[in-house]
Amino acid sequence: MSDPSVSALIAEETQSGVPSRSLWSEAFRTLRRRPDVILATIVAVFFLLVALFPFLFTSKDPQRCDIAESRLPPQWFGGEHPFGTNAYGCDVLAQLVHGTRPSLLLAFIVVGVSVLIGVTLGTVSGYYLGIVDAVVSRIVEVFLVIPLLLAALLLLSLFRNIDLGDGPVSTIAQPAIVLTMFAWMGYTRYVRASVLETKNLDYVTAARVLGASDLRIMVRHVLPNAIGTVTALVPTAIAAVIGTEAVLAFLGIGVRPPAVSWGIMIEEGSQWFTGGSEYLLLFPLGCLMATVLAFVVIGDNLRDALDPKLK
Amino acid sequence: MGRYITRRVLQGFLTLFLVMFLLHLLTTLAIQLNGNPAQAFFGDRTPSPSQLAAVETRYGLDDPCYDQLGNPCIGPFVERLGDYAQGDFGESLRGRPVTDIVSTAAPNTLRLFVVVTITWLAIGMTLGGIAARRRGKASDHGIRGLSILIDALPIFVLLLVYKYIFSVPLSRWAKDTFGSDSLPALLFKPSFSPQHAWATLIVPGILLGLAGSAAFIRLVRAAQLETYNADHVRTARSKGLSERHVSRHHVVRNSAIPVVTAVGIVFTEALAGAVITEGMMNIYGMGGVLWKAVQDSDVSVVIGVVTLLAAVTVVVMLVVDVVYAALDPRIRYE
Repeated sequence: MSDPSVSALIAEETQSGVPSRSLWSEAFRTLRRRPDVILATIVAVFFLLVALFPFLFTSKDPQRCDIAESRLPPQWFGGEHPFGTNAYGCDVLAQLVHGTRPSLLLAFIVVGVSVLIGVTLGTVSGYYLGIVDAVVSRIVEVFLVIPLLLAALLLLSLFRNIDLGDGPVSTIAQPAIVLTMFAWMGYTRYVRASVLETKNLDYVTAARVLGASDLRIMVRHVLPNAIGTVTALVPTAIAAVIGTEAVLAFLGIGVRPPAVSWGIMIEEGSQWFTGGSEYLLLFPLGCLMATVLAFVVIGDNLRDALDPKLK
Repeated sequence: MGRYITRRVLQGFLTLFLVMFLLHLLTTLAIQLNGNPAQAFFGDRTPSPSQLAAVETRYGLDDPCYDQLGNPCIGPFVERLGDYAQGDFGESLRGRPVTDIVSTAAPNTLRLFVVVTITWLAIGMTLGGIAARRRGKASDHGIRGLSILIDALPIFVLLLVYKYIFSVPLSRWAKDTFGSDSLPALLFKPSFSPQHAWATLIVPGILLGLAGSAAFIRLVRAAQLETYNADHVRTARSKGLSERHVSRHHVVRNSAIPVVTAVGIVFTEALAGAVITEGMMNIYGMGGVLWKAVQDSDVSVVIGVVTLLAAVTVVVMLVVDVVYAALDPRIRYE
């Protein structure tokens, strides 16, 4: 095994990682030329900035409301309340800005953790098969049978009375846990399928014959084939979680008042829609749709760019 | 094939058992953390201890394990499984058996799903097929933009916009023009009416189907594109078959496999969407019942309905897997 020619072969083998890297740079080059991707990235980055540094965009406190100034129409820029005030007299712009963070933070946590769980379980179960695969597949099936929203509805309403505190993380902890619990299975399935497809290919067998360890084969040779698919799923998944958060908040069981999120604003705004204050619904709805649209566009183009079969 | 089906059916039973156990564990944990749901029976009134005890016994919540955090409550679980085996899915807080509620609510959900499935297939196959055939042309980009737009509109936003902005003026206009019992007036009625179940379900069903159709369009397009690049399609073309014959026999059929499996996955999403749709449009279906039960903390109805829905999903997935294996022999690994 320590034969120099073998190690030379292994070295050559590892260099075959270069085309996979050029796939990424090529994908990047394709994406850079698309105007819709550039626009979507600008929108996404803008809302990320809003979530990270809310004080750059508004100087008002979303929780400080003056009931005497309730439902002022938008005064646009230059006025005291550029986007008007809501039924309790809170500044809509401040609420929009501060409502960005819970939505995006929730989305990133949920997607990040589920990708981690999904990729690990998918690789292990696809690679070892046998008992590991049987157990993982059963678990995946059990969780797939209960739809995400049904589970969230059931669990969040059963845990409705439990208060975890007011911090930025603890207000979203409950929806984050429940959504993650029921969102990882997709990645497991994709990665498992891709591992099954790859692991019997000649170059993987060659690596095994050359004495590469299981871990090395999984990480260096098998996983790079799956990672493109998974990456392409991520922006779309982020968009989906942002949408689901809005649904849960709308039903009163997601992020809860007094914390502000777009979903809560949409829920409040919909009550005033027919009462002549359409802007209370349209502003948060617009922000939600712009963000979701941006992530969906990025995801869609990424999938095309990373799938060599469609070239 | 016979062995494969047997194995899948046995796996299905195991999955169903595990789902029930998972639901049981989660609700038990919720009861242990959150307090006794029997309290919900009395609403705001404060019951005497003996009244509370009587209600607890009636709904099987009297086991002391519900007061011990971390106790998996195996005893009540076994009892419940026995009840399920006899067709007893518990009763609501008003004393109505869950099976009775479900049997009156299920037809409306089935109607909704008929409309949803037709919408999916119609939109997905038509637009996805066109996009694949005209890849890179204006219609492809247009369809793609449309599917992205659909994706960016969650079902509840669609329903919200429809209910508040379109439904009221449209139904008023239809009533004035065609009369209050005419078909158009019923179509745009903002809420469900049991006397005209089909007519009042069509628009919510189409909206729900529309919300799920983006995934279908993309999937059909991707599957067909992959097949268009395949060797056997090139062979079919090079031996002079007409483009129409090629796309119908060599592309559409071969790209049906991922589409069939997607039905299984999208089905669970549609089930979730049905809860929102039925909840928001006041449709008396399984989702609407579940939504109300969750609001009223009617735990036995929630567990009963979710268990039944899980059983239905297991059956759907089983059928999908068997169809998948029948369509593609490569799938039967062992």
